[in-house]
Amino acid sequence: MRNFIECINLNMFFFTIRSFFQKLVTLLFISIISFLVVYLAPGEPSQIDPLNPKFTPDDLVKFRQEFNLDKPLHVQYYLFYKNLFIGELKSWKDNQPVLGKIHERFLNSLWLFIVGTLITWCLSFPVGIGAAIKRGSVFDRTTTFFAYVLISIPSFFFAYIIIIFVVQTFNIPVIGMQTFGMAQAGELYRAMDRIWHLVIPSILGALGGIALLSRYVRAQMLEVIHQDYIRTARAKGLSSDRVYYRHGLRNALLPFVTMFGLILPGLIGGSVIIESIFAWPGMGRMGYEAIIARDYPIIIALNFIAAVLTLIGTFISDLLYMVVDPRIRL
Amino acid sequence: MESNNQDINSLHLGLADEISPAAAAWRIFKKNRMALAGLIIFIMFFAVAVIGFALTNGDDPVLDPAKVRLSEKLRSPLTPADTDMIKKEDFPVFGIYLLGTDDLGRDIFARMMQGAWVSLTIGFVAVGISIFIGIILGGLAGYYGNVRIRFLPVLSLIVFLVSLIFWASGQNSMALNTFIFSVVLSACSLLYSLMSDKGSGWAKKLDFLFFNTINVDSLVMRFVDVMLCFPSFFLILTVVAILPPSIYNIMIVIGLTSWMGTTRFVRAEFLTLREQDFVSAANAMGIKDISIIFRHMIPNAIAPVLVSATIGIAGAILTEAALSFLGIGVPPPHATWGNILSDGKKFLFDAPWLTYIPGLSILIVVLSFNLFGEGLRDALNPKLRKR
Amino acid sequence: MLIKRVLILLPVLIFFILLQSFFWVPTYDEQARGNPHRLEEYITASIGDAKILNPILNADNASSTIADQVFDGLIDRDEDLRFRGRLAESWYIFEEAYFYLNPKALINGQTITDPENIKLKLLSYKGDSPSLKKTLLNIKNIEIIPPTKGETIVQVPGPDTNEDGFPDPVNVEVSFKAPPRFKVTLKKVDQGFFENIKSILGNGYFKTFPASDYVEVESAGHQDKLSVIAPQVIPAVEHNPVIIFLLRKGVTFHDGHEFDARDVEFTYQSIMDSENLSPRISDYEPVKSLEVMDNHTVKVVYKRLYQPAFGTWAMGMLPEHLLNKDALRMEAEAKGEDPETFSIRDSDFNRSPVGTGPFTFREWKSDQYIVLDRYKDYWEGAPNYKSYTFRIVPDLLTQEMEFYGGAIDSYGVQPHQVERLKNDPAYQNFSGLSFGYTYIGYNMRRDLFKDKKVRRALGMAIDVDKIIKYVMYDQAEKITGPFVKQTDYYDKDIQPLPYDPEGALKLLQEAGWQRNGEGKLEKDGKVLAFTLITNSGNDLRKSILAIAQDAWKKIGIDVKTDIVEWTVFLGKHVNTGDFDALILGWSMGIDPDLYQIWHSSQTNKMQLNFVGFKNNEADDLIIKIRQEYDYDKQVAYCHQLHRIIADEQPYTFLYVGKWTAVLDKKIVLKEVLPSGEEKIKKITPTKTGNYSFHFNKWIKLAENPVFDTE
Repeated sequence: MRNFIECINLNMFFFTIRSFFQKLVTLLFISIISFLVVYLAPGEPSQIDPLNPKFTPDDLVKFRQEFNLDKPLHVQYYLFYKNLFIGELKSWKDNQPVLGKIHERFLNSLWLFIVGTLITWCLSFPVGIGAAIKRGSVFDRTTTFFAYVLISIPSFFFAYIIIIFVVQTFNIPVIGMQTFGMAQAGELYRAMDRIWHLVIPSILGALGGIALLSRYVRAQMLEVIHQDYIRTARAKGLSSDRVYYRHGLRNALLPFVTMFGLILPGLIGGSVIIESIFAWPGMGRMGYEAIIARDYPIIIALNFIAAVLTLIGTFISDLLYMVVDPRIRL
Repeated sequence: MESNNQDINSLHLGLADEISPAAAAWRIFKKNRMALAGLIIFIMFFAVAVIGFALTNGDDPVLDPAKVRLSEKLRSPLTPADTDMIKKEDFPVFGIYLLGTDDLGRDIFARMMQGAWVSLTIGFVAVGISIFIGIILGGLAGYYGNVRIRFLPVLSLIVFLVSLIFWASGQNSMALNTFIFSVVLSACSLLYSLMSDKGSGWAKKLDFLFFNTINVDSLVMRFVDVMLCFPSFFLILTVVAILPPSIYNIMIVIGLTSWMGTTRFVRAEFLTLREQDFVSAANAMGIKDISIIFRHMIPNAIAPVLVSATIGIAGAILTEAALSFLGIGVPPPHATWGNILSDGKKFLFDAPWLTYIPGLSILIVVLSFNLFGEGLRDALNPKLRKR
Repeated sequence: MLIKRVLILLPVLIFFILLQSFFWVPTYDEQARGNPHRLEEYITASIGDAKILNPILNADNASSTIADQVFDGLIDRDEDLRFRGRLAESWYIFEEAYFYLNPKALINGQTITDPENIKLKLLSYKGDSPSLKKTLLNIKNIEIIPPTKGETIVQVPGPDTNEDGFPDPVNVEVSFKAPPRFKVTLKKVDQGFFENIKSILGNGYFKTFPASDYVEVESAGHQDKLSVIAPQVIPAVEHNPVIIFLLRKGVTFHDGHEFDARDVEFTYQSIMDSENLSPRISDYEPVKSLEVMDNHTVKVVYKRLYQPAFGTWAMGMLPEHLLNKDALRMEAEAKGEDPETFSIRDSDFNRSPVGTGPFTFREWKSDQYIVLDRYKDYWEGAPNYKSYTFRIVPDLLTQEMEFYGGAIDSYGVQPHQVERLKNDPAYQNFSGLSFGYTYIGYNMRRDLFKDKKVRRALGMAIDVDKIIKYVMYDQAEKITGPFVKQTDYYDKDIQPLPYDPEGALKLLQEAGWQRNGEGKLEKDGKVLAFTLITNSGNDLRKSILAIAQDAWKKIGIDVKTDIVEWTVFLGKHVNTGDFDALILGWSMGIDPDLYQIWHSSQTNKMQLNFVGFKNNEADDLIIKIRQEYDYDKQVAYCHQLHRIIADEQPYTFLYVGKWTAVLDKKIVLKEVLPSGEEKIKKITPTKTGNYSFHFNKWIKLAENPVFDTE
């Protein structure tokens, strides 16, 4: 027995090391691609637009020097990531350090992300399981249909409909992270106000995820409840709840462990539209504004960080998978 | 499981069963009412788009989506045109604004008709690109996955790419140097492969330079991994915003950033198919690889590709709408449902039809694509067919 | 089954926790009612974030909105758009006029070489011409400046041309030996001073001044340009208007440091410092010198008569003690940057400004909000609002939503929303005219448009009311001339051209155009035909194009239209003067200076008088207006000019647009009467439509107010 555990640990150790290096190589390519995608694009960032009359040729040279734009591409690449890692990379728009800006926005996005994820996971499972158990029932068909509707609706269109409905019906503000002008209100009121401002954007942000995940849960459950051991358990006279929820669910859960690691990157890419609509000062909106202003340092850094998050996510899910299912050897 | 696969295989080996797989699939598909409705809407949308293209194109189109009539702005649906204010030749079809007008007095019906075509084109072209790449890369990885690539060719390829990058960034001398270097490297590797056949002595000594580094499968799949790491919408946003605004850029960028899924399951499909008897048989008969791939494997692997294409078109239409919403979508004069919607949202209170008509249209069409795609998946899934 | 229960209860619980927060959030009314602090906060929103909170560096709307609250200028405009003192308690303007002794000029048949004689002649004159008497009475004193010599560098047009087609300037070294000079200090600026004293000194006294005799060109190869260079180096006459600002005493910056004349000097120097790349640098080019007379007096001398330059002092004043060389060096060192290249542009001041304005800076979160607090020691009395929040909401529709939700207090309404929001009982609304107009301009170089009658007729054929009603949703007003309609410069008595196609036809017949068999207007066998163009991308202009074409076709004019892309429009048509008629718009400043657009010297390529309007009387008035420092006289000149332009009709003036803003009805004016009693008044816009003029007295009430009818 002990031997077995040691074996697992050793295996895990090797796997971890190998996986880590693999990810490192991937990271290198990611850094190159995210750098090149932006730098090789035609046109220059607006700040060094030679057509801008306020910029004399001298300023242009100065600006190019300051941001290393006059150097060969590989040197720029090196300097860019060096500056990013030592925290000296600055936004072209307002000269603030990129890492500081991202950190601040990250904390804002995090709340949205946590609540959204919580809603997604807590809602998808009961819905998906219910639909699977009562396959073909009214419940199943309605949830299936609504899941497709949620996937198919343009998110901003739906967001506006919801906002208009809430504002016109209840006459309360929903935009931003809090109601402005409540600085003097009680602590509890302010906390609740902040939660309220989280509710709508996080639900809207989670809708697509709920639809996809609940469909996936349903499919997994269906797969499992037609296995022989479930039939056997049923035949043995165990209550259906017990069979489905104890035996079925446990086995259906396995693939979701991997998904847990994959939700991290949703922090950036998934929130651009929702954050823009709700004036939520998160990473997605910052990214969008940086793109519009051609603020290259922010764009590249965000793309890079998103990719790193994904890598970390996959790494974690690989590990989790190994822990829950020792048969897997990646 | 086995028997089902044979169902499909039998088609290609000419041993037909009583019912063909297509008919079987249709029988299942028919039972799925939602999918059937999806199919019907799908066909209707297709017809509308083609009719829309025919009516809105040319110098003097029947429906002119770009005709500005400022005196007739924000008219609600079914309003007749005002004969006093606009000229006869500016009249909408039937003299009535079927779906109202926008803030510039443009006929929304005409714009929706044009938009249907444009949205459909974007969906088809983008998905076409992504499927093309997906099949090529997936096929490579699946069929030639075990072929190992030597170090030197890989190196020369990388050097060549670097030289391209230098060229693109305008550093011509560096580009030339690296290009020559890459040519020398590939010449070396060619020489080596010629020499090694004859097994001459000195080539063996250089073997360390030519060790097998990576096989095709891992190369492709690592590339897929790298691409999957990027948040796709953010990447699309970045590239589309940085490139000059153009409808083609949007199609290409959406296509270039969404091929990973197709690659993955084409590879998986090829991996299983490669082990099938009929492929081994074909191989044994000395049929060329190309012919095996195109005659035998792709037709067998196409079902899931079709499903993902259907859903992919829906996704592309949604992505285009989202880009339009963020102000970097298809530039005028093309109307797409996405930019009608995002232009109309300013007038949500004063002219709600400008938002609801394109919004609901997108919803219905995308929903029908999704339902149809899912129905197709179920119908083509042999596991479900048994039940 | 536990798992089942957990699976079902967990989402229910989460949704309960999330949704119950709804009951804690104040509704629109509750925000005002149960929350006394909210009433003391003003919240406004903008689509874009501010860029740089420094009045001498900012160039965008958002930044200047904030800078206006944090900084004060020396002056600003009052309710009637006339100047009033802010940091300057008062000011007075006089003139220092200079002229050189002309030893060769004949005065009553003889030359005078002794400057004292000339001075005596001027001071002892006892004529009876009233205008001359007035001129002489205006003289405060005359000073004689002894002959001077020196060297200087002059810029002249060189042989090379730049990409705009103008010659590149080259520097030329010159030396000069100037004759004695008179410095005449005038009590009031008098642009006619030299003209008037000609009757004493003789008509040719200034014109014949032989400047070339006193100047020598030192740089090789430029000797031939002496006649151009000499008047630049020693001009025969020079008007130097002088402004003395008497600064308000006891005004402090938000950090408590007292505001004084050094700050004004520093602000001026910072703008002129090319290192800072201030976009305002051209505004201050006419300033000859700025001098600190004492702690609270500043003297500004201008190079020439240019009245619009006065308005530039409305710009916010920087605190010298925070941005001078030493302060910047310390900041650079603290940040570890090179103090040599560290300029005001790099300073943290631009993100946390300190000024003398009614609000002090508290916090700026990029792309989120900027918060200002009221400045308790504001010299005019602290504002009623305790804080001012500037939110950045990038989407117009969500801004509107926040306004309905009560979390934004004001909202700039789009034209199509005006009808709906005007009738909403929850809001009060204001509208006013913008500073710009749209017109059809006729190329007066073309024979066809040389006749005033043709231009008038074309104008009369267009129904402007129809354009305003259908194209502009009634959010526009007719305009008859080139001045801002709200100002006194605009002559309200001038009637717009009537819509009268019949009359237009009659006018055209007078001009010799007769209808031919096809109903087209013809003269000497030629049909009346021209092309009307405008730029693409502006749909308003596009529809005016269609309406005008239609109207003119009706009276038998063969009009073609063309819509041209903007750069081509400018490059091929406007800048080269190659067009028949065009539709464009001008946005204007309040200042009545029309030199660039209407003066006959500005009709060349690349210049703004592209219609080629040339009228001697108008030229004269344009110059007089920009040189006149007396408001009433300036207004009189403007009315004259307005009348000439309205009569000549070089443009068909169409309309000036309107804006509308909506405010929460609970926002009112609160004034404290001398008796200590508080009085609530409804917010009324000023005569010029500026509703936020009394912003510092605004406050929000808990309930919709009821006003006593007055």
